[in-house]
Amino acid sequence: MPTAVTHFKTNIYECLEALPRYTLDQLYKEPATCLAIFRLLPSLARQFVMSLLFTQPINSPVNLTKSDLRLWVKNEEAALTKFDEALEKLSKLSIMTIDQYGYIQMNSEFRERFRDCLTGGGSHQSFGVPCKKPASDRPDIAFLDRHAMKQWEEILHFMVGTESMSQPSAAVLKVVTRAKLMKEGKDKLVITNKGFQFLLQDVNTQVWAFLIQYLDIADELLQMNVVEVLNFFFMLGSLELGMDYSVKGLTDTQKQLLDDLANFGLAYRRKKGSSRYYPTRLATTLTSGNSAVVSSAVSSSASTTTGEDGATEQGFIIVETNYKLYAYTESKLQISVLRLFCELQTRFANMVYALITRDSVRKALKHGITASQIISYLSSHAHPQMKKRIPLLPPTVVDQIRLWEIERNRLEATEGYLYKEFRNQGDYEMVLKYATNHGFVIWFNERKRMFSVTEEGHEHVRSYIKKKIAQRKTNGGGGSGVGTPNHQNNGSPSILEFLDIEDERKQRIGW
Amino acid sequence: MNVLRDAATVNEDDANLLVLIIDTNPLIWTRLAKSTGLSLKEALRHLMVFINAHLALKHDNEVAVIASHVDVSKFLYPIPNPHKLSEDTDQTMNSNMYQRFKVVNDQVIGNMKELFEDLSKLNSYPDKASSMIAGALSMSLCYINRIMRADEIGHIKPRIFIASVSPDSPNQYISIMNCIFSAQKLGIPIDVCKVHGEDAVFLQQAAHITGGRYLKLPTPQGFLQFLMITFLPDRYTRTYQCLPGEEKVDFGAACFCHKKIIDIGYVCSFFVIHWNNVQLAGLTNLMLASVNEGGLRVVNGIKKLDKSKGRESGGST
Repeated sequence: MPTAVTHFKTNIYECLEALPRYTLDQLYKEPATCLAIFRLLPSLARQFVMSLLFTQPINSPVNLTKSDLRLWVKNEEAALTKFDEALEKLSKLSIMTIDQYGYIQMNSEFRERFRDCLTGGGSHQSFGVPCKKPASDRPDIAFLDRHAMKQWEEILHFMVGTESMSQPSAAVLKVVTRAKLMKEGKDKLVITNKGFQFLLQDVNTQVWAFLIQYLDIADELLQMNVVEVLNFFFMLGSLELGMDYSVKGLTDTQKQLLDDLANFGLAYRRKKGSSRYYPTRLATTLTSGNSAVVSSAVSSSASTTTGEDGATEQGFIIVETNYKLYAYTESKLQISVLRLFCELQTRFANMVYALITRDSVRKALKHGITASQIISYLSSHAHPQMKKRIPLLPPTVVDQIRLWEIERNRLEATEGYLYKEFRNQGDYEMVLKYATNHGFVIWFNERKRMFSVTEEGHEHVRSYIKKKIAQRKTNGGGGSGVGTPNHQNNGSPSILEFLDIEDERKQRIGW
Repeated sequence: MNVLRDAATVNEDDANLLVLIIDTNPLIWTRLAKSTGLSLKEALRHLMVFINAHLALKHDNEVAVIASHVDVSKFLYPIPNPHKLSEDTDQTMNSNMYQRFKVVNDQVIGNMKELFEDLSKLNSYPDKASSMIAGALSMSLCYINRIMRADEIGHIKPRIFIASVSPDSPNQYISIMNCIFSAQKLGIPIDVCKVHGEDAVFLQQAAHITGGRYLKLPTPQGFLQFLMITFLPDRYTRTYQCLPGEEKVDFGAACFCHKKIIDIGYVCSFFVIHWNNVQLAGLTNLMLASVNEGGLRVVNGIKKLDKSKGRESGGST
């Protein structure tokens, strides 16, 4: 599922990229974080880091220039593009920067900690403190999977509005409203377009999207330290499923965080304030993209036979060339997601039969779901039987869904302001030229002396005209004329005075 | 999602399976450690970091380690039922180390110790100067084959890395060449790092034929650095990287009857066998032809193979 993976990557990557250098340096103090961030880099960048990691003693600089490094890649356009991309990402995350002399500087904090990570040195305890003895009644992996799925699906159910669902915790509510996945309705929260899109993502992307929103809140509302929160996320990603971990060594913030994460289904605690916690699959696959979720679910499916969660993660959808869709699922959640873009026909004990129709897809498109989201949802949830086919989905169906989307885009509405009734061609051309140069013009008609500008351009054009009028007034101009901009869509005309310009005046004011 | 079954095309998202073959001939290691200062223990530490680095590159990267010993080739990791190496080491699970690295490192080192505890067979084995590279290669090919079959969507890209110290063993010539051609057919590159000693002719050919990298360690001190720069890049990255200069490859072959490496030999075009003299060649051929009497024409196309003309050995004749 390359699309899903890249989506996840860019998401967390963008989040990290926006952090200031100081925060990044703080983050690199934990080897677990170094490892997780390292894995987000493009291949070539990872290779550069590895190649330079052990070259010199920690404190001495890497004695290489950018052009030295360039010799390592082939002198081909594709390779050089990759090279530039790699260096750009490295410098954005301030792992490797290039100083003014062209020498490469590797972040010493990162370098030291990442070395520790590979050699197992240091005493940072960043990979979780395991308990001395496993608890006598420690939950097994199947239990953890069920717990994770139950908690996570509760959130999703809440979003879809399935009845008889208990109100989720305050943290969940905050994240959901904050991320605009849901908004205030008449008497309860209702799902938004963004929420619909969210539902179509795979679990891993959903979890990350959720956590990133949580991070925002943590910073502003809960006064948590971003570094500690991120470190904790990355640490969770490096833990082993089914092991006992002790809360010893966690900071207070992180303990508080743990309670919320247990609520989301990322961790399990027997009771609040218990000294042990157990990461669930949602947490341990955080930093590994979603392929790990799929493969591990496949390997564990032998033991959990036909568990609901096993089926959802393995893929259960079969699409035929005649737009018929068979979904082997009992989960209400999956069915409500399918209902977003399919017409459900019949429901059997273990299977739902639905049709993909023009109307159903258009309905989804109206909700703000894009054709590619539908397609990627279908392909990432495809039944193992389907996955053996090349291409995975019937091309007719894929093409038709795209065509239905394009169909809606025949007309594009752009909000704008219309300028008309210029007194003479000169004025018209002058203002039009100004607007064109700044890229504000949406449409113009020279014969009618009209043009319309974008909403953002309107202010600029208006002030430009005002300025010209003022200039002319100071120049003692006379005559009067009106150029009227009309707001096309809401029809609230604002009238501006605009003076006639006569040819000799133009000369005088120095055109 | 496009499913790529083709072994030759590599994607950035592909996982990599690295099979390490470590030549553990204790006699040669001890002898050479004195002269160069890089002992097996030291080298193993470097190799562990190399394995960790490989696992660090991607979360779904896999590794397998095989020891090519004097008399036996043995899997060090993964082994089917890892008996708890020692309960107490597992209990004090190190929170300073990524669990995955720790599991691999502990098992490799534990199994390596076990291998060296059993020295009884060492004296009885005739060919002390070499190690079971052919056996280790076949084991790794079988392992790779199994993994590839389990992986239906062709997501895993395998490669083999050999850390070699022993000289070539002409006894194993045929089996090594067979392994190399299988690897070539399956599109599995074989990387070879000659840690000590002279260039290994067969392994050089292995790297050349399969499109892997061959490196004779110029100085043993920077072992890890050489590993990191030359052998760590995965197959995707290699398409963009400059390879270390391809040195002259020695295409020497071994004589089939005396098991010696030869400079000038004779090749039978039908059975593709090399001899060191013509009479012998004719004799064996007649024998073979008589064995194959049913329907086969008598073979007489015996060609002279001259190494200096740079003709490739084996398959091309």
